[in-house]
Amino acid sequence: MTLRLGSRILANTVVWGYALVILGPTLWVLSNAFKFKIDIITGATISPFTWINFNELLFSRQSDFLANLLNSAVIGIASTAIVIVVATMAAFTLTCLDVRPWVRWALLGWALLFHMLPTLTFVGSWYLMFSSVGLHGTYFAVIMTHAVHNLPMALFLMMSFVGALPRELIQAARMDGCSYGQVFWRIAFPLVRGGMIAATALTFIFSWSDFAISLTLTSRDTMTVPVAIATFAQEYDIRYGEMAAGTLLSIVPALLLILLGQNFIVRGLLAGAVK
Amino acid sequence: MQSFIATFSRRSMLRACAAAFIVAAGVGTALAQSQPPVTMAINQSPWLNSFVAMVEEYENETGNKIELDVTPFGGLLEKIRNSVRGGQGAYDIVNVNSLWLSEIYSGGFLAPLGDVQAGYGLPEGVLTYGDTTNWDAEAGTFTGGGALMGVPVNGNVQVLYYNTDIYAKLGLHPPKTWDELLANAQAIQKEGEAYGFVPRAARDSIVYNFTPYLFSHDAAFFRITDSGKADVVVNSPEALKALQTYVKLATESGPPGPGNIAQGELIQLLATGKGAQAIAVIAAWGQLEDPNASRVVGKIDAALLPAGPAGTVASSAGHWVAGIPRNVPPEKQKAALAFLDWFAAKERQVDYVRAGGVPVRGDITGADLGDDAAFRFIGAYSQNAQHAVMGLPFAQASEASDAMALSLNRAVISEMTPAQALNQAAADLAGVLERNGFAVTKLPDL
Amino acid sequence: MPAAAGVTRGGIDAMISNEPSYKERRNKRWIAISLLPAVALFIVLTAFPVVNLLALSFFHVEWREATSAFSFVGLDNYHRLFSTEKVFWDGVRNTAFFAVTAVSCQMVLGFSMALAVRTAGSYGRAVLTGIFLLPIVVPPIVIGTMWRLIMGREFGLANMLLGLLGLGPVDWLGNPDIALASVIFVDIWHWTPFVFLLMLAGLESLDGEVIEAARMDTRSRWQQIRHVVLPMMMPTIVVTLMFRVILSFKVFDEVYLLTSGGPGTATEVVNFSIYRTFFRQDQVGYGSAMSIVTLFAISVVIILARGFAQRRAARRSAVS
Repeated sequence: MTLRLGSRILANTVVWGYALVILGPTLWVLSNAFKFKIDIITGATISPFTWINFNELLFSRQSDFLANLLNSAVIGIASTAIVIVVATMAAFTLTCLDVRPWVRWALLGWALLFHMLPTLTFVGSWYLMFSSVGLHGTYFAVIMTHAVHNLPMALFLMMSFVGALPRELIQAARMDGCSYGQVFWRIAFPLVRGGMIAATALTFIFSWSDFAISLTLTSRDTMTVPVAIATFAQEYDIRYGEMAAGTLLSIVPALLLILLGQNFIVRGLLAGAVK
Repeated sequence: MQSFIATFSRRSMLRACAAAFIVAAGVGTALAQSQPPVTMAINQSPWLNSFVAMVEEYENETGNKIELDVTPFGGLLEKIRNSVRGGQGAYDIVNVNSLWLSEIYSGGFLAPLGDVQAGYGLPEGVLTYGDTTNWDAEAGTFTGGGALMGVPVNGNVQVLYYNTDIYAKLGLHPPKTWDELLANAQAIQKEGEAYGFVPRAARDSIVYNFTPYLFSHDAAFFRITDSGKADVVVNSPEALKALQTYVKLATESGPPGPGNIAQGELIQLLATGKGAQAIAVIAAWGQLEDPNASRVVGKIDAALLPAGPAGTVASSAGHWVAGIPRNVPPEKQKAALAFLDWFAAKERQVDYVRAGGVPVRGDITGADLGDDAAFRFIGAYSQNAQHAVMGLPFAQASEASDAMALSLNRAVISEMTPAQALNQAAADLAGVLERNGFAVTKLPDL
Repeated sequence: MPAAAGVTRGGIDAMISNEPSYKERRNKRWIAISLLPAVALFIVLTAFPVVNLLALSFFHVEWREATSAFSFVGLDNYHRLFSTEKVFWDGVRNTAFFAVTAVSCQMVLGFSMALAVRTAGSYGRAVLTGIFLLPIVVPPIVIGTMWRLIMGREFGLANMLLGLLGLGPVDWLGNPDIALASVIFVDIWHWTPFVFLLMLAGLESLDGEVIEAARMDTRSRWQQIRHVVLPMMMPTIVVTLMFRVILSFKVFDEVYLLTSGGPGTATEVVNFSIYRTFFRQDQVGYGSAMSIVTLFAISVVIILARGFAQRRAARRSAVS
């Protein structure tokens, strides 16, 4: 869309204004990773530079942050993969195919109902369930619970993206004799890649930053990043420096994923342009 | 199945390496027999490092292993609950905060120490912080005669912090009564460079912080008169005086917006020198003496909390007690008790203080620590520890505390008068007690 | 291209096995395969917790001798919730206000951010998307504690900036009148990227031809947006809105870390009341009743909203 010069300048100002409001506090938070606590709590803008927070975070006896990063990554990628595959297939079937209405209502209604309940009310039940089969503290438990926790949102999102596809394409393929599976893999799936990437990014972020489930279901060996960072918010000594250091280290993988996903968004568009 | 799904642990590799490096015991005689490894649930905290140092000392001395599972403070209670309520506990020792003690004790989750080792009693000199190491299941409260349930591992009581520089400048002395404290605060506030007194009146901890005021005025929240009978006395005239003092100190000579000042802000103000006096737990001492976290290193001292009109002193107990759950094998229980007993001995406690911890004994003096100025808090600590009290010593303490917190907080932010607040608190407390099976008598409204 | 391939394949298949039942079975199998994982996940992992929650709301649970004692109390918990409970209902009022304000700001901001990114060059687009996503990549606990520092009265950056402009310090979190607004601000800062991401994906999937046609039809860009882009984006907007509303009813981290519900009940929200009841007070039955009531409330809101939206759409299409 081309714009007249005036509205272009306005648009740019607005955009970079937003960017500033977001970047400002974020950069301040990240800069705290390199400051002493006294400088953080007094809001000093110019202060001595130090690596002490990273030291505490990475090398002290009680903190195993690199292992925590690995755990978060494993859990995040696995649960996101499960969610996206399951949600996309189900979304396609529910939106485009002939499914009995009661099936659709039951599945979506239950998903929504489950999503509306506060997480902490059923984390206890999950603890009971998993520890009774001896799976407490395992990757499996956390991956599965993250998956089912994020499934409702992914499901509804994919349904809206699939629903935006032109019906004629689907009809045409069906009339040509394609089976449902073929319609999905050849037509629907390539076209919703853009939406899939957005849903993937959000699901991954929700899994990466989950605290309530990870706190209860992980043990020392499977502790994830948010729980590890939370250990520095102590009873009467909030270790802002270590928390900021942990945040800096955890943003890097998350951002990488998103920036890589960006390329896929663009490529997904090109694929979609070949209509 | 589990071994396939469970994660391979880097830590177990590290542990194996560490074990290879352990020097054979040469010092101390402690426990001769070897014990199975023990797992302990504990929170990440400033004093954790000192505790870890003690654990390492124990491991070196006896070769027995203690595994620490470090959890954020906000999640430790839930982890403990999950573990002790299950069939097979994940932890052999649980670190329980004073605020959770009544819940964990009354649930019957812990093994009385006298059951783990016949006839076991706390070593002489170990503090009980208002009998909180014992529990009488019949009466439903902490009494000296009840069964011994745990060993304290961190003696966190409140002390009165004050800035020695500001005191020297204005010619002030540590106050003996609440009125003197108020006078000091007003003098400092008038001088203008710092806040006279920093309250901690945020809703989530206000009951805990109001407790010393209440008890030092010879009042209480409630009193158990007989088995199953309770007398709600939080709206007595003495309590009113206590609350008026609390509100006065919070609003007249301190920072604005006291209703939202939590521990973090309080320590922030002390550490930057903008707060001259405050009542806080002794465990904050470490931060105030750390040059990376404080501008007042060497300028802070601790004192006994002020006394009420009749000379009573009370300090809110925020300590930690280690208990041994019932749902672990007896060998582990014995191993756990062996460690805790080792930990409570006087020489170990001196080491503990040297490493940065707060001792659980009342008999450690400055002389034991070589009169080092870094440990100058020890005198005030021991004094305050003798007067430690638990405000709500019954099973539903958290429920009651939550119920009353709102009214007290409202009094501080002037949404209610102190009298109204106490009447409301009495009603709420009575409600909680009645819901839990007590026959409640109340005082007439103020 | 795909259509051509489909014709060949379909043709061959028809030759090989001409029975309609083979196709039907294949299709039925596909439906089963595509829906079964979701159904299985829900049944295995959520049936017990949800039913347990519902059941618990009719009980009072106590622990003695390391075992739990369930005593059936019927509707007592609900009765208590509707008669003597005060803090929870303050929370409901705050949460409703919170949801409406925060979500509408987020929707407007997120949508305009997505539009703005679309008009930037491709390099600017990558940079801006990265920046705009930062807030939801930061762990919630860090957002809470850091904003508490920024909004701190004595040393917070916010007041320092105000001081540079010559304005006096504001007690962002300690003043009961503005505490809720401060919490809402942090929530907006935190969650607008969510809306932004979805709006961006939605915009980029719009049919380019229709947009071109609209551009030539209408005069101003604003009209383009209002009459063409917005209606085409409706499905995405509706889904985003629904999830933001639900998530804002579940808001917890910001409140817990910034103000813990205070001062007074100025920032008490429903999820925080439930947390206190469940975890701090260990009143599992009462907490479950609260959750169920909250669930009903949100469902009613959503049903009403959908009914309203559908009637509006029907009226629109009837007019045009």
